[in-house]
Amino acid sequence: MNQVLAKIAQHEFAFDGQEIERRLANVVPDPIGEHFVVVGGRRFPPKQVIGLLTGLDRADFNTHQARRVLSRLGFTVGRRSRESQGASPNRPGPHGGREADLLRAFRGRWVAQRGLEVIVAADTPEAVLQWLERHNQSADAMFRVPGDEAEATGVAPA
Amino acid sequence: MKFDFKELPGHSRDYLRPAVPVRLEGLARAPQLCLLDTGALHNRFAAWTATAAGIDLAGADRERVAIGGFVAIARQAPVQLTLGEVTWEAPVWFCDPWPLAFHLLGQEGFFRWFKVQLRTAAYEIEITPEA
Repeated sequence: MNQVLAKIAQHEFAFDGQEIERRLANVVPDPIGEHFVVVGGRRFPPKQVIGLLTGLDRADFNTHQARRVLSRLGFTVGRRSRESQGASPNRPGPHGGREADLLRAFRGRWVAQRGLEVIVAADTPEAVLQWLERHNQSADAMFRVPGDEAEATGVAPA
Repeated sequence: MKFDFKELPGHSRDYLRPAVPVRLEGLARAPQLCLLDTGALHNRFAAWTATAAGIDLAGADRERVAIGGFVAIARQAPVQLTLGEVTWEAPVWFCDPWPLAFHLLGQEGFFRWFKVQLRTAAYEIEITPEA
């Protein structure tokens, strides 16, 4: 992860990739619109990240500026509409393993899901509920993504 | 009502579980994933859901139960549950600790009210309210 100097809304900023990961470690992502950036295995709206780092109002810059900076820092950026469907006829499951793959990054965490998409993930169920309330969002399902076999099956550990 | 089996990630292999989203009164924004557990006598939910939903467990019946390899203290309250468009009232035993990824729907609080068909080969669940 490198460092990048960028000018946004007439202000110059120095961004550091490791510092961004540290600062976002305890931040719950806002709802994802079309664009996202992956930081620490979680998806954030790019404007949320840049707004948090710079203190700028999100109306002062656009998504493409935010994506460009984060991409130059080495973070993965993407668009939801271009994501591969990814289902494999050779893997078991109603979604050919795609749902399990989407949930894999959230093992051991609480998630709220709409369709197959995780709309929020947090370390406690209370944080997930607070996020849904704060953002006036409703989920299709909420659960803890199992961190080990016992959580998924209910069997006693060996 | 039709539901898909839930795909959950695992270490060496993934898990396919017959689980459905049930709305607990007071938690309308976050339907809770519940395993259809034909071996369970009662509905069993994590205790945090009662706290979050504002369900008063003071003075509730209390028992010590062993569930799938762990022991929990369970307290019972009658609550309103909703699956799809169907709402019913049933006792739920709220358990602490609760290390499972999902809650459990059992015979008394769920299966007696619904006809449940599992098509495991197709990863499908069909649930119809009993007349």
